[in-house]
Amino acid sequence: MPWLWILVGALVVLVLVAVYGYNRLVRLRNEVGTGWANIDVQLQRRADLIPNLVEAVRAYAAHERGVFEEVTRARAALQRAASPGSAAAANEGLTAALGGLFAVAEAYPELRASENFLRLQGDLTDTEDKISAARRYYNATVMHFNTAVQSVPWLLLARPFGFHEREFFSADGDTAPPDVSFAS
Amino acid sequence: MTLQQQIRSNRLRSTIVVAGFALLLLLVAGLIGLAFDLSLGALALGAAALYGVFALLRSRRMISGFTRAQELAPGELVPLRRLVENVSIAAGLPVTPEVRIVDDPAPNAFAAGLRPQSSYVGVTTGLLRVMPKRELEAVLAHEISHVRNRDTYLMTMATVFAGVIALVADIGFRTLAYGGRSRKAGALVGLLALVGLLLAPYAALLLRMSLSRRREFLADAGAAELLNDPEAMALALRRLELDTTTIRYAEATTAHLWVESPTERVGAEGSGILEFSSWFNTHPPMRSRIAALEEAGGFRLPERLAPGEPFAAELSLAG
Repeated sequence: MPWLWILVGALVVLVLVAVYGYNRLVRLRNEVGTGWANIDVQLQRRADLIPNLVEAVRAYAAHERGVFEEVTRARAALQRAASPGSAAAANEGLTAALGGLFAVAEAYPELRASENFLRLQGDLTDTEDKISAARRYYNATVMHFNTAVQSVPWLLLARPFGFHEREFFSADGDTAPPDVSFAS
Repeated sequence: MTLQQQIRSNRLRSTIVVAGFALLLLLVAGLIGLAFDLSLGALALGAAALYGVFALLRSRRMISGFTRAQELAPGELVPLRRLVENVSIAAGLPVTPEVRIVDDPAPNAFAAGLRPQSSYVGVTTGLLRVMPKRELEAVLAHEISHVRNRDTYLMTMATVFAGVIALVADIGFRTLAYGGRSRKAGALVGLLALVGLLLAPYAALLLRMSLSRRREFLADAGAAELLNDPEAMALALRRLELDTTTIRYAEATTAHLWVESPTERVGAEGSGILEFSSWFNTHPPMRSRIAALEEAGGFRLPERLAPGEPFAAELSLAG
């Protein structure tokens, strides 16, 4: 009965393809997880720098309470943010609030010259650079994962096994990273 | 072709090239076996395997020695380290590679190491004195791409393989030239072995180049993607092209590791003997690399480069 063997062969191939596809989805999802952990570490580091920075400015400009409150509020919002999208929005909110803080600091030359303030400012810039680097990696991994989840045939596996599209780290919804393509 | 596809096809090609190396090694050993006797061929193969394992174990230190790269003290050149850290994060590397400095006026950089975890990036002081921050970052991203694409792994393997083949061919050639006692083959076989043994190191060299040349394009593309800035990479390449200082300690054995080929100068696009030399060049000409970036990024570099503030100023390095 050759048709039986053909059927068995087809089934075996199908199972192998499914195993490959499932493993691929798991690998891509893990990459997204790693990418998000990288961003999270840097966001946490940024949030940790804020209290010291606020204290440093407060020592010179204690009366600027509105600015301090705004920064503290923005920091709390960042720490509360649960999803990549809301974290990105909260992170931008913090950037805006910090803009106000540094505008205040401009008026105090002694503060701007203090070693502590300069170091904090340098660390903050470094953390912001790292957040943007981590975002590029994370968004690339999300794009690969989402493409896999949305395309045939992995689509057929993704839904039943609970692989869902992930959110980009971007304040305005979905910004896919540009795909640099190269002719060889 | 997307970057992912490019990486995949590149990995396949690398496997083929490494298999080619293994075949070449077997061929050389076979020639020795043919010209003298089988046990000498087997002995050469055994010696090659031993030497290969030893060289792989020592490769990190060997390459560091060839290029004269110095380790950094803990508090040294923090801004440079931060740049490398940022690029590694963008590449999603599990660990940031160490940074090492080569005290050399020629601007250049390289990456080495068998695994991403034990890799390091070497940068010349000349590079820091010539490159503005944006372009330096592109050069670092190029090197980090080599680490991410496992080029450093393959290039290290290729270096070791090429060395092994050269060693074995040398042993065979010397025995042949100075008349081994166990020689029993006829004149024709002897001649064949002589030619084969003479050519083997060049074949190994060609194989190694074929590894490196394609990889440069791929690493350029990777750097453009990591920074989302193809123009920075093109600018950096143009600046390297315009610079005419050559690496003082350039050694042919590590030429393929650098971002810009240290042994051959630009202008290998001529004809005749130069055409031939461009075959042996480890790196594709700068112009075609820049052109590839211009095409991918959809921009044209200006003929003249605007002078930028070198990164060395930020490092308080005397320039």
